[in-house]
Amino acid sequence: MSQSKKHLDFELNLIPFIDLLSTCICFLLLTAVWLNVGSMNVKQAVGGQPASETPKKPTLWVFLGDKGDMTLETRDAQALPVNMRKLKLGGGTEGKVDLQALAAQLDLMKKSEPELKTALIQPRAQTAYEDIIDLMDQFKKSGMADLGVVPL
Amino acid sequence: MIKQNVIANTALNSPIANASFLNPQGKKWKKSLAADLLLTALIDAFSILVIFLLMNFSSNGEILFMKKDMELPKAALGDVLERNPVIKVEDGKVFLEEKMLTAEGLIAELLELRKNFKATHPAGEEMPNTITVQADRRTKYEALNQIVLACAHAGFSDLKFAVIMK
Repeated sequence: MSQSKKHLDFELNLIPFIDLLSTCICFLLLTAVWLNVGSMNVKQAVGGQPASETPKKPTLWVFLGDKGDMTLETRDAQALPVNMRKLKLGGGTEGKVDLQALAAQLDLMKKSEPELKTALIQPRAQTAYEDIIDLMDQFKKSGMADLGVVPL
Repeated sequence: MIKQNVIANTALNSPIANASFLNPQGKKWKKSLAADLLLTALIDAFSILVIFLLMNFSSNGEILFMKKDMELPKAALGDVLERNPVIKVEDGKVFLEEKMLTAEGLIAELLELRKNFKATHPAGEEMPNTITVQADRRTKYEALNQIVLACAHAGFSDLKFAVIMK
């Protein structure tokens, strides 16, 4: 009885794999989104409840100056020491906001008043949009999630 | 002793040495014109590329249409952008969904948008009070102020400022 010599190893046809992968790469390259666009969320108060019915939360008002300087005014924050309720911060380089000084100040404020989570920004007419976003980003980094922009 | 070990049987008899034109060490030197492509390496590279591109793939599609000279501000802690009506500020002009408007016209158009939503959606379904604002990073706040005011007048309380994620 002769034994048939049958090879158990066989060669995979790799050409369809390459075709499939090439098509996938072309499709994905064409549809790839290289720019990662996000959003900075701002909640505006619109009409609604009267001020007397609204629960009072500690709020930080930020008044921007012309040269990157700003005034921080905290309202309804009873736990905050009196000397921290109204502060002035100088501007940074090139008329920009000094974000490092702001971060340090916010850390101190959050230690005294952990409930401070709302910030309202009052920019000037000539304030650049980029500076407002930088400021909001810094507030978010410091744990202040509820942000608002005050109209002129 | 070295001739008995694994290295002697593998590394010392390398395929490159066997195929050498000058001093072939293989049993029989055959000059072959057809070069074998290493397809496995090619498939490996393709697979890595596909995985990388799949990880970058976004199924949301394009939400914002930007001119070449428009630069959005950058932020590290932005949220995911969702599809909402887009108000765009470009060269001092205001556009709502690519339609140019004045400040007064913007309020009327936003109210119209709300009315259209009610007409096209079942009763009881409320339109989200969200607007996406798209502006160049150098835009002054006086240009954005009219949008903030118009949105407040039309009852859109949530503004989403479009940013590039750092």
